[in-house]
Amino acid sequence: MDKSFFDQFLFVILPYLSLFTFFLMTVYRYRAQSFSYSSLSSQFLENEHHFWAVVPFHYGVLVITVGHLVAIFIPRSILLWNSHPLRLYILEISALAFGLLTLIGLVGIVIRRATTTRIRKVTSPTDWILFAMLLALVVSGVAMALLHPWGSSWFASNLTPYLWSIFKLNPDITYVTSMPALVKFHIVLAFLTVGFFPFTRLVHILVIPNPYLWRKPQVVRWYGKKQ
Amino acid sequence: MSPPLFRRCEAAATLTLVVSLLVAVVAGEAVAQDTADYFRANCKACHTIGGGPLSGPDLKDVTERKDREWLIRFMRDPKAVIDSGDEYAQKIWKDSREVYMPALPGVAERGEELLNLIEAESKLEQSQFKGLPVSDRPFTDEDRKKGRQIFLGTQRLEAGGAACISCHSMHDTPTLGGGRLVPEKSDLTQVFGQPEHRDRKAFSNWLADPPSPNMKAAFRDHRLTADEVHALVAYFEDASKRGTAAQPVVARIAFLLSGLAGAVVLIFSFDAIWKRRFHAVRRPLVDANATRGH
Repeated sequence: MDKSFFDQFLFVILPYLSLFTFFLMTVYRYRAQSFSYSSLSSQFLENEHHFWAVVPFHYGVLVITVGHLVAIFIPRSILLWNSHPLRLYILEISALAFGLLTLIGLVGIVIRRATTTRIRKVTSPTDWILFAMLLALVVSGVAMALLHPWGSSWFASNLTPYLWSIFKLNPDITYVTSMPALVKFHIVLAFLTVGFFPFTRLVHILVIPNPYLWRKPQVVRWYGKKQ
Repeated sequence: MSPPLFRRCEAAATLTLVVSLLVAVVAGEAVAQDTADYFRANCKACHTIGGGPLSGPDLKDVTERKDREWLIRFMRDPKAVIDSGDEYAQKIWKDSREVYMPALPGVAERGEELLNLIEAESKLEQSQFKGLPVSDRPFTDEDRKKGRQIFLGTQRLEAGGAACISCHSMHDTPTLGGGRLVPEKSDLTQVFGQPEHRDRKAFSNWLADPPSPNMKAAFRDHRLTADEVHALVAYFEDASKRGTAAQPVVARIAFLLSGLAGAVVLIFSFDAIWKRRFHAVRRPLVDANATRGH
C-alpha cells in the first residue's frame, strides 16, 4: 500500500471514523439503553484484591488523561511550565509515576479478572478486547516516556496542532508522519479506543453527575447473611 | 440484542461510516501549496537565490547554467544523477562536501513551476530567497550564554516555539538530559561543522527554516528570530570545539528509577488514605450486618 495513502488512512480517515462513532453511538446507546451506562462493578464478587487494582488504575489514568487534555487545550501552559529544566523533569517524572501506577493497576485488574472464577464468568469478550487495548495503550505510553522523552513538550509542539487540525476539519498530517513508530502506534490505538468506547463499560465515564471521586464511603455487600 | 434494536444499531453504524468517510474525504483534500511556499518549506534551508551557497549551491540563474530537462531529472532523484557519474552533478556534489540532496516529495509534479520561480526571482535585484542576513561579528560569551538559555528554554522563544531541550541534548544539559524524540538526532553537541552545517551562514539558514520533517512542522508557525539563530549558532559552535557526548543511558535509568519511586510512594499513600475507609468503616458495617442477619 502506498505510504501516503496509509498515513491518510491512519491519521485522517480513522480519526474521523472513531470520533463520529464515539459521538453518535454514545448518544444512541444512552437513548436506547440508558441503564447500560454503568461500570458494571465487580466489587460485589471479589473484595480482597479489588482495591489494589482499581484504585491505582483509576487515579493513574485520571491524572494522565487530564495531562493529555491540558496539553491539547492549553499547550502554551505546558511549554511555559517546561521552560525550566527542573520543572520539565518534575512534570515528566510525575507523569511517568502516574503512568506506571496506571500500568500496575491495569495489570492487577486483568489478573484479578482472569484468576477469580466468578468474575471471569461475568467478563465479556468486549471487556477482554478493551483490556487488551488499554494495556497496549498504557504500555506504549510508558515506553514512549522512557524511549522518546520529553513528551510533554513535543506533544504540545507537534501533536496538539495535529489534533486541532482534525477538530477544525482541516487535517494536517505533516505533524505526525515523521514521528517514531511507537508514537504513531500510540496515536492510532488511542483513536481506536475512542471509537470502541461507546460499546464498552467505559461509558460510565460520561455519566453525570459523576461523584466517584468525592462521594462518601459506600458499602457494597450481600443482603442479610454473609455469603 | 433484539432485532429492532439490532437494525437501529446497524443504521447508526452505517450513518457513522458514511459521515466519517465524507468528512475525511472533504477535510483531507490537499490545500494547494503555492510554489513560493513550497520553495520556502523545502529548498530555502540549503539554497539561496542570489545570496551565495549554503549547504547547496546558489540557484541564481541556474536555468542558464543547465537545461530544464536536466534540472528536473536532477530534482526528481539527485542521488541517481550524481551516482551515474554525470560530470556537472559530481562537481556540485563535491562543492557541497559530498552531501546528497534528498529527493523531495512533490518535486516531480512541480519541477517546471519551481524553475519558473527561480528564473523570475533571479531577475530581481533582491530575491525574497536571498537568505538570512548573517552577521560576521565574532561570537561573544554573552551570545553563547543566551544560546544555552534558549536551548534549555529558560529564555522563551519570541514566537512561542518549544525549547530545543524538548527533543535534543548537549554536553552540558542538566542531570536527566534532553529529549530524544528521534534518538539518532538527539545529541547536538557536535552538530556544528557537520558537512550539511559546514559554516555559520549555512547553519544559520538551516536553523531559520529547518527542513527536517518534525522540526519543519513544529517551527512552521513559530520561526526563530535572527537574534535567536545568532545566539544558538554561537552556543553550538562553542560546544563543537570542546563538548563531549551526553550520557543518555545514565539519564534514562535515573528517570526510570525516579518514576518507579513516585509510583511506589503513590501506592503507599493510597493505602494510608483509605485504610480508615476500608478497614475502619466498611468491615465493621458488613460484619455487624452479617451478625444481625443470623
